[in-house]
Amino acid sequence: MIFQIALKNFLRQGMRSFLNVLVTALAMVAVVFNLSLYNGFQDQAVRNMVSTDVAGGHYRTPDFDLLAPMEWEDQTFKIPDALSSLPSSDKAEVLVLQGQIFPNRRLFPVQLRGMDMQQKLLDLPLNKLEEWGTPVDDVIPIIIGKQMAGKSHLHIGDGVVLRWRDRFGAVDALDARVVDVVPLINPRIDQGVVWMRLDHLRKITQRKGEVSWVAVKEFKGTIAGTEFQVPEILLKDILDLIRQDRKYAIIIWVILIFLAGISVFNTQFLNIFKRQREIGTLMAFGMPPGRVVRLFTLEGSLAAFSAVLVALFLGTIILGWFQSVGLDVSHLAESQIPIRENIYLKIEPVEVILSMLVIVTIMILVAWIPVRKISKVNPTEALRGRAIT
Amino acid sequence: MTKFNFKRMVCGSLCFILVWTLLLPVTGRTEDDRAHRLLVEVDKNMWASTKYIDGRLIIDNGRRVRTLSMESWMEGVTKSYSYYKAPARERGTKMLKRDRKLWMYTPHTDRKILIAGHLLRQSMMGSDLSYEDMMEDEKISEAYTGTIDGMEEMEGVKTLVMTLKAKRKTKTYQTLKIWVDPAKNIVLKEEAYAKSGKLLKLIRFTEYRKVGNRLFPKKMIFRDMLKENTKTTYMFDKIQFDVDIPAKYFSQRILKR
Repeated sequence: MIFQIALKNFLRQGMRSFLNVLVTALAMVAVVFNLSLYNGFQDQAVRNMVSTDVAGGHYRTPDFDLLAPMEWEDQTFKIPDALSSLPSSDKAEVLVLQGQIFPNRRLFPVQLRGMDMQQKLLDLPLNKLEEWGTPVDDVIPIIIGKQMAGKSHLHIGDGVVLRWRDRFGAVDALDARVVDVVPLINPRIDQGVVWMRLDHLRKITQRKGEVSWVAVKEFKGTIAGTEFQVPEILLKDILDLIRQDRKYAIIIWVILIFLAGISVFNTQFLNIFKRQREIGTLMAFGMPPGRVVRLFTLEGSLAAFSAVLVALFLGTIILGWFQSVGLDVSHLAESQIPIRENIYLKIEPVEVILSMLVIVTIMILVAWIPVRKISKVNPTEALRGRAIT
Repeated sequence: MTKFNFKRMVCGSLCFILVWTLLLPVTGRTEDDRAHRLLVEVDKNMWASTKYIDGRLIIDNGRRVRTLSMESWMEGVTKSYSYYKAPARERGTKMLKRDRKLWMYTPHTDRKILIAGHLLRQSMMGSDLSYEDMMEDEKISEAYTGTIDGMEEMEGVKTLVMTLKAKRKTKTYQTLKIWVDPAKNIVLKEEAYAKSGKLLKLIRFTEYRKVGNRLFPKKMIFRDMLKENTKTTYMFDKIQFDVDIPAKYFSQRILKR
């Protein structure tokens, strides 16, 4: 009975109700879109890092720090048998050392990254290095990423002088040839990185059997002299960054929900002001004030319930379209965010339901707050239109 | 016609081989000794128990030229202290070297920084010299073994060209090539090579002048041969040997405002 009256009143309001529903529905879609975009962003960044660098974790020396290049040379270790005996699909041996290249005779400090050519764990387009048959006595084959190629103005086939230190500290240099420029989906292994064959890097630096880390598919137990770095630690900075961004995104959600809330609040406020005589009549006919409050609250809440349905409809269209085109975030690659391709939404049903529930609850609350005062209204005053001023 | 005497020929050949077998090491050793003696003389000319230098480091990176003016005090090959006087940005910067450690003090930060390990390989104030190059603390006669390659005329001076091989694997430059004026025991040019044989650095020693009983260059020009259009000139405007240097100059306490 009360629902029917509320629905009739709600529909009678026409454009006002429609706008309330639309604003609330759009707020809902925007919140879900925002949440899903962050999920997609995080998912893609993690996937790219894992497939190209992190894998299932790294075995390193306890003091190795990729952000301390001065110490890389002191943090190498001989690969233990427990790791060297793993199949090529389960491990990737990596040696990282400091070096310099001189494109157009300008100094360019680089990270020399030697990659095991037999490994099948990481997805890296380095097959041109594998094809290099001749020894590295005169020319060293190298591969660079597209971003690095742009910065250093190097192209496929270009020659460049490469300088490094051997394990004793003696300086050495040779000509290197860019055998390929590859698109790398993870800018962290592109900017400032020169890819080499592990055997080549070991030979020129006299570091036989040495590695900086061994990427593995999964934890293989404790190994003396090494420390296992789980993916969560290796991905910590990017996960922290996204977590921090999510916090800032809450501000946007609050603004959106606030706007939708204000719209409903305003409608409710106007309703009880303009419909004082109706309130007075209902009370005069014996409707208890609590029931009148419930009636008006339900009327306001109908905007939220209808918004859920409209949001489902609009969301399907908007999010569906977005999934077909994605969002180009290639500009972020400049800031070392490990995504170069378009990103897509990752919709988590639990998150969607929860955020909808939060919005609906807030809407019910803002529909109830302005109508509370009805319970204190004197019916005679209300009939005269002087109860609420 | 002389009759072919097989016995005489065999005896003659054996004598010839014997003489050369005995003489060759002596000749080689003599050459090695000569090379070593020359390096010792060169070191004697360049190194002193104490040294004071008022000089300038002119850094030309191909786009602009910066001049750093400084005073340095050196004791032996292991201790040195430099005070930068100009430009304004570098004024008050101090560098103290003791053994294999180098401390740098900058007045802007009012802190001293230890430059050690791999940091020593970085370019010093944007020049063609690394900190390691600047704190070279070994005489060439002690760090390298020399061989004489031959004579070459250089700017009207007959020079001995020598190849120096490092005695230890840890030496930054494993091979040096120097052009020495044997009459004056001075180096006119030095080339530093990578292990692969690629030329990395070139140093020219010019405008030698008499300082006491030594000959010392007024100018040293360093070039990084892998870079284009860059050079660093070390000008020795004033140099004094065997001066008294207060002990406080080599104490870390000097590294403050």
